[in-house]
Amino acid sequence: MKFLAVIRQVPDGESRLKIEGSKVDLSGATMILDQMDEWAVEEVIRLQEKHGGESAVVALGPERFEEAIRTALAMGIDRAVHLVAEGYLDPITQAEALAEVIRAEAPTLVFTGGQQADWDSQALGPALAEALGWPVVSWTTQIELEGGTQAKALHDLDEGAERVRVALPAVFTSQQGLNEPRYPTLPGIMKAKRKELKKLPISAFSKVEVLEQSIQERSRLNKLIDGKDPMAAAHELVRLLHEEAKVI
Amino acid sequence: MILVVLEHDGQRLRKGALEAISRARQLEALGPAAGVVIGENAQAVAQEAGQYLPTVYAAEVGGYTAEKWAEAAYAAVQKSGAQVVIASGGRQSRTWTARLAYKMRAGLLEDTLETRAEDGSIVATRYSYLNRVTERQRAALPVVFTAKPNTTPSAEPQGSGMVETLSVALPAGVEVLERLAEQKKGVSLTEATAVVTGGRGLGSPEAFAGVEELASVLGAAVGATRAVVDAGWRPYSEQVGQTGKTVQPGVYIALAVSGAVQHQAGMNKSKYIVAVNKDAEAPIFKIADYGVVGDVHQVLPALIEAAKKLKD
Repeated sequence: MKFLAVIRQVPDGESRLKIEGSKVDLSGATMILDQMDEWAVEEVIRLQEKHGGESAVVALGPERFEEAIRTALAMGIDRAVHLVAEGYLDPITQAEALAEVIRAEAPTLVFTGGQQADWDSQALGPALAEALGWPVVSWTTQIELEGGTQAKALHDLDEGAERVRVALPAVFTSQQGLNEPRYPTLPGIMKAKRKELKKLPISAFSKVEVLEQSIQERSRLNKLIDGKDPMAAAHELVRLLHEEAKVI
Repeated sequence: MILVVLEHDGQRLRKGALEAISRARQLEALGPAAGVVIGENAQAVAQEAGQYLPTVYAAEVGGYTAEKWAEAAYAAVQKSGAQVVIASGGRQSRTWTARLAYKMRAGLLEDTLETRAEDGSIVATRYSYLNRVTERQRAALPVVFTAKPNTTPSAEPQGSGMVETLSVALPAGVEVLERLAEQKKGVSLTEATAVVTGGRGLGSPEAFAGVEELASVLGAAVGATRAVVDAGWRPYSEQVGQTGKTVQPGVYIALAVSGAVQHQAGMNKSKYIVAVNKDAEAPIFKIADYGVVGDVHQVLPALIEAAKKLKD
């Protein structure tokens, strides 16, 4: 069996973002393996530990992604393929490029993050599934293989969740609660430096163009009321919401 | 031609569907709109949709899978010749619209706040970077986009349309074994104009009775933080944040919520933010319009009383 994770590198949510020339400037941000992709990587490693076979990550993005790829390798992934492309590419175009590599890899299943912490996109997993002609299970919190041809999974819907049986190969996207990712160990980090990382430059044309970005923080009123007298504070708050904000 | 995929609950159109129809009407420069109702009871719901759109397709495909929805929507695209497809945004629709966009090799614009036609393209405004950045995207036709709930006025009925049955070859691959539906009480979180959220600081699942009561007095939906749903106090469907739901109500009341970045990603665009927390240094106060620094166990009962008095 072969288990594959598709990963990306994103700014840490705690990092401050800057705008430079009407686009987000990430030069000052701490870059990390996307947390939702980290769950995908952890799950792939656990599946390999349980069922044997091999594991790999595939990434599509700029040179800087290598750091996130090394993190996945240090966690325990066997090897990596990096499709190198600078700049924004929409998820449909990405899926097309990734599908080519993944089809050749012929994995048992593919895992990726439920939502990207930079582009706030949820589309890569399902678009990739469509490109491959495979089913997709999004927002997965549990997965269990039934041999190499099908799996049972629990995943979130708009409201509630459902258990499904899905034919493999399939694409799964992660949701919080799937697992607790391991930290890379020092030997793991050393080993990761020698693991195979194949780089393939690609050129693709994005169907979606990002025209401009801005940080529009709503200015907040920041009116604080002392709650020592709870009744008085509550009445004042209700009065403000009713008379000033007019929202209740 | 524009195709609106109409979200419904098996009986009636949901508010998101009426918002999506408004989006289609805003784009009339790109042509007339048709609708499609997919799923159980599609025929009956399509009759209702006929009050809004001249042509409505009905695809009776049974219960939800992303594959079925994408296939049915694609059948409607081919039948209508639509170059623009609109759906209301949610976890499920953002899954199947990605499949659909790939089938059409279309530009996909996710969770848009505003959309307009510009020289044969669609220009959309949306949030990115965990809801912190506002961006404008442009895609040439064909385009598939999802409309963020609560961003557009609901469409009004106009005229009476024709319902046409659509036959769809059903894809296999996913078999639903069991649906763990959470009983829905009160107002839907993403459609609510007011949200009352409880955090770990409430101390116990029992303390949520107060959150529910305040929500019910205000006609608000109940929300919860990740810590609360992880502790099993509340269902995951109530979670607001990066891995839960993103809400943008008129007023968001956060009770004993510290306000981690991951939580803020789900609510920082609310019109008014209210926080009650005993820690004056809690990050939630930095983004709050109104705040009470105090013990939630004392302030919440007082708030319920004051709100009841107002509503009487």
